[in-house]
Amino acid sequence: MYNRSIRGPLVEGNKTYGQISSDIMAPIDARPGMWWYLTMAIASVAALFGFYAIYITVSKGIGTWGLNNSVGWGWEIINFVWWIGIGHAGTAFSIFLLILRQRWRTSINRAAEAMTVVAVGCAALFPALHMGRVWLAFFIFPYPNTRGPLWVNFNSPLFWDFIAISAYLLISFSFWYMGMLPDFATIRDKTTSKVKKAVYGFFSMGWTGGSHQWIRFESLSFILGGIAAVLVVSVHSIVSTDFAVGVIPGWHTTLFPPYFVVGAIFSGFAMVMTMMVVVRKVYKLNDYITDNHMDAIARILTFISLIMGTAYATEVFMAWYSGNEYEMFTFFRNRVTGEYSVQFWGMVICNAIIPQLFWFRKIRKSTWGLLWISLAINLGMWFERFNIVVTSLANDFLPSNWVSYTPTIIEIGIYVGTIGLFVVGVLLFFRYIPMIAISEVKGVLNIGSKIDD
Amino acid sequence: MENDNIQNMPFMKENLRLTMPFKVITGILIALGLASVAFGFIQDPGRTWANYLVNNYYFFSIAMGGVFFFVIQYISQAGWSAGFKRVPEAMMAWIPFAAVFFLLLYFGTHSIYHWSHDEAVADDKLLAHKSPFLNVSFFYIRMVFYFALWIIFAHLLRKFSLKEDLEAGTKWFEKSEMYSKVFVFILAITFSFAGIDWIMSIDAHWYSTLFALKNMVAAFLHGSSILILIVLLLNGRGFFPFLNKYHLHDFSRYLFMLAIVWGYFWFAQFMIIWYGNIPEETIYYSVRWEKGWQTLFFLDIIVNWAVPFFLLLPIKASRNKYVILTVIFFLIIGQYIDLYLQIMPGTTGELKFGMIEAGMFLGYAGLFALVVGISLSKANLIPKNHPYLDESLNHHFQ
Repeated sequence: MYNRSIRGPLVEGNKTYGQISSDIMAPIDARPGMWWYLTMAIASVAALFGFYAIYITVSKGIGTWGLNNSVGWGWEIINFVWWIGIGHAGTAFSIFLLILRQRWRTSINRAAEAMTVVAVGCAALFPALHMGRVWLAFFIFPYPNTRGPLWVNFNSPLFWDFIAISAYLLISFSFWYMGMLPDFATIRDKTTSKVKKAVYGFFSMGWTGGSHQWIRFESLSFILGGIAAVLVVSVHSIVSTDFAVGVIPGWHTTLFPPYFVVGAIFSGFAMVMTMMVVVRKVYKLNDYITDNHMDAIARILTFISLIMGTAYATEVFMAWYSGNEYEMFTFFRNRVTGEYSVQFWGMVICNAIIPQLFWFRKIRKSTWGLLWISLAINLGMWFERFNIVVTSLANDFLPSNWVSYTPTIIEIGIYVGTIGLFVVGVLLFFRYIPMIAISEVKGVLNIGSKIDD
Repeated sequence: MENDNIQNMPFMKENLRLTMPFKVITGILIALGLASVAFGFIQDPGRTWANYLVNNYYFFSIAMGGVFFFVIQYISQAGWSAGFKRVPEAMMAWIPFAAVFFLLLYFGTHSIYHWSHDEAVADDKLLAHKSPFLNVSFFYIRMVFYFALWIIFAHLLRKFSLKEDLEAGTKWFEKSEMYSKVFVFILAITFSFAGIDWIMSIDAHWYSTLFALKNMVAAFLHGSSILILIVLLLNGRGFFPFLNKYHLHDFSRYLFMLAIVWGYFWFAQFMIIWYGNIPEETIYYSVRWEKGWQTLFFLDIIVNWAVPFFLLLPIKASRNKYVILTVIFFLIIGQYIDLYLQIMPGTTGELKFGMIEAGMFLGYAGLFALVVGISLSKANLIPKNHPYLDESLNHHFQ
């Protein structure tokens, strides 16, 4: 039961089923525009820069980074957490909205899931490089080995991280890929090119659209969804324990697990919004990704922004309430004021204050408003991770340990490289995979109208 | 799909009359409660004040759970629950009563809160540091402030809801949505501080950033369970005839989801403190890890998380009225255990459950039932003109 007269249709423009297929498949058949090649070129250059930086890191070692004895974690961990956060949205979006029966998810979930897979890939790069001898990375697999009684440390959150992220990548990739089977089959059946027929035919795994296949398809998507929903929460909770189980002031706080999960969903939703603004504009899919969709994402972002603001306030208040001199130093002398106050206030303004502009309908309706605010959130979430990782390490218990930290060009290079890689991945997705789940949009076309009942 | 569906419904009982047996039973319970309070003050005032706080907070948290449920329905534009909104509204009627009870706590401040003793603050650096926040006058100023906000907002939301019944159109609906959004933010801040003030400050040296949030979720969970209990009881007497298995499924999803979140917070707080192993923090758990308390400590997580989780996991069970009632039964006990464990070790330090505890709980329960019942009987049980009412009356999904 869906009250169409109040909630509005999910697909605008009185589409027929045939139109939906052809509208969404159009970008795959047409040659991409100039902007696509241009962006691809820039992103590839950035990615190449990243590969160069990785080459230097691997061949010379992580001494090429700006880390030192006190600040043992720098940009790499910041960026790792940042990417993992972005990578959360896809699944959070798909799964949570699936569980909550929000049918408007159908035109956005595919892109969000694609984003997840690419972002989690980018994220996984950082801890691997951080090991130093990346060719020995397989040491982290827990298996009986010939290296003596040397097992991985099961008590270490870093090991939990490895398990959680690999499981998450596996499940979100399966979920994303499985959802594409019917659409690959549609392309296979519609395309005239023989090569495309063969390739998409291979990837559609012999999908015929029979009712047995649909039944299995739907039960599998619910099972994978159920597993992924748990993983969304567990992955970022575990990332938070990388910090929270230590005793460093500013890290050791019980709020961290939910605070990280919410923050991750926040940055991920913001990234989904950035992407959707671009897709709508460039591919003219306004009938599918409607103003109502953007409005809904903006509302969710406003809500989460208030949660983030409350969390920041709680942390600062508790630092005072605890009466612990180290906590008070970290928050009041090292973050709110002091060397790192720019990052602290950048975080507060970008995450807790700017998104409140979404209370105005005018801004929720404006393309630029949506774009800039969503970018501000991603910047703010980067500041947040900087705040956590660097400020606590740079000035810890002993003043003789205090140092400053600046990243080297190699560290910046790796970060720029992952952004390039992400953009390349997303552009390839635009080009070769239906951006919107065709079969699912067809399912909600007539929702709440006479035909549906 | 116009409004004809509502008219097609078989005769719908809409007006609740409180029956004589109900009034008599609640009256007896209230009398029993009063008697135990009197007995308690003669016998053991310290223990009675601690129990007073446990029960105050217990029923207050349930009323606030109703508020959470109500505002979340508006914010998320949920349609399925529109037909039941009188129930959380009735639960909100308890808030003014809670306010009075909490203000009366003034006379017991010294026997509950260690930081309220000047001599304790004098030779304790940490308490002296906290005294700008933790002092008796500011404590009650804050309390008045919280309750004022809650009462105003709860009153306005109820008013809008009743006005909606008389006037067609979405004007009052939109107004309720707007106020719900503001209210939920105010709630997040004030309810957090309330939890810190009233409960966490009992162990005045200890602190945890997650504490307030955990208690907020506990209120939502246990408030929802009482809400569902009221719906099922009314349904048993012929009200809400449209209640079907999909409604039940959605209700139990609330319990299921909130129980998981509660368990998650419980574990996060415990695990981080255990792993960090800093004496200032672990002291809280080491007391609760002693003989006797330890049983309650484990019972807490079993009753509040494991029972709802495993019982409501299968779809068939989560659509079964009796399974849901069983879960609610456990949750009612669960919230008591949780609060008992939070309050008692820092106040009386004694693990006792007797006449005072049982009598006071029953007394509060009687009064709560009476207040909610009167509020329910004041308005139509099924709201009118709510834009999603149709969705609620004909609720179904795959």
